Amino acid sequence: MFRPFADWLADTPLSRTLQDHAWVVPTSQSIHILAVSIVFGSACMINLRLLGVGLSGRSVSQLSNSLVPWMWRGLVVLLATGVIQTVTEPVRQFVTPMFWAKMMMIVVVATMTALYAKAVRRNAPVWDAAASRPWRAKAFAVLSTLLWLAIIVCGRFIGYTWSFYA
Amino acid sequence: MSLAELLTALEDWPISAAMRGETPGTEWLFPIVETLHVMALTIVVGTIAMVDLRLLGIASRDSSVSRLSNEVLPWTWTAWGVAAVCGTLLFLAKAATYTGNLQFLLKFACMGLAALNMLIFHFGAYRRVARWDLSEPPMSAKVAGALSLSLWIGVVFFGRWVGFTT
Repeated sequence: MFRPFADWLADTPLSRTLQDHAWVVPTSQSIHILAVSIVFGSACMINLRLLGVGLSGRSVSQLSNSLVPWMWRGLVVLLATGVIQTVTEPVRQFVTPMFWAKMMMIVVVATMTALYAKAVRRNAPVWDAAASRPWRAKAFAVLSTLLWLAIIVCGRFIGYTWSFYA
Repeated sequence: MSLAELLTALEDWPISAAMRGETPGTEWLFPIVETLHVMALTIVVGTIAMVDLRLLGIASRDSSVSRLSNEVLPWTWTAWGVAAVCGTLLFLAKAATYTGNLQFLLKFACMGLAALNMLIFHFGAYRRVARWDLSEPPMSAKVAGALSLSLWIGVVFFGRWVGFTT
């Protein structure tokens, strides 16, 4: 279904120009991995705190308010570099289910993170005290960690699976 | 035994053949180990960036430098261990090729310099951390943070370029 669109996109002047410069994709991917480090590193630190495994120096709300903005900045960089890679090699991205699974999971985990950050901002004392912290804090920690890991798996496996579908 | 002979001997190991997918059932081993390597390295770089950005006064200003380091760096080292084990396995697949690859050598040069920078910081400015733990870090600590951040960006860039040049 997306193949005709991918073929059209690959033939546009912009895509052709990007394809002509061999450094574009590796450079974009390197920046992409650096942004993954910021986003996934921050997510892991917040989630370890929520699970009660370390990072106890700051309260849940302090840690989240400090790191979540960095996650959004990182996500903007991920989106920008992801668009560059997709415009340069649209077929590689659109033909493999890995890409679509990754996109769907990003929407889910980003929504979860936004809702989590909003809840913590609104009611910091309740989230900061272990006794009153909602049970969904731990559910969020486990689920969002698993989603980020699955997103990384899908991201890396786009490159290893697309040729089967092309 | 010369270096070339040693590298050839390493490539002849059964685990090296498995990493190349030559043993039945190991076709997906390299991508799986590489994905684990990426997961681990994003934790390494993400947590190091947290400390570096704190030293530069850009992030986590509500945490003391020593507390942030003590909380975060055990996870950095754990993840570094995973990345190193996975990285060694990846290396075994094509030991001779990687050893002769410029980007691979530059990656390890960056990591070596990052280690040196860390040692100089640890036995220099960080010994007097009590004096500036909650305030503005001294210039030597800021330089250490900036160098660390730059060198790890170099590690990620050259690491990603290894995959495009071998």
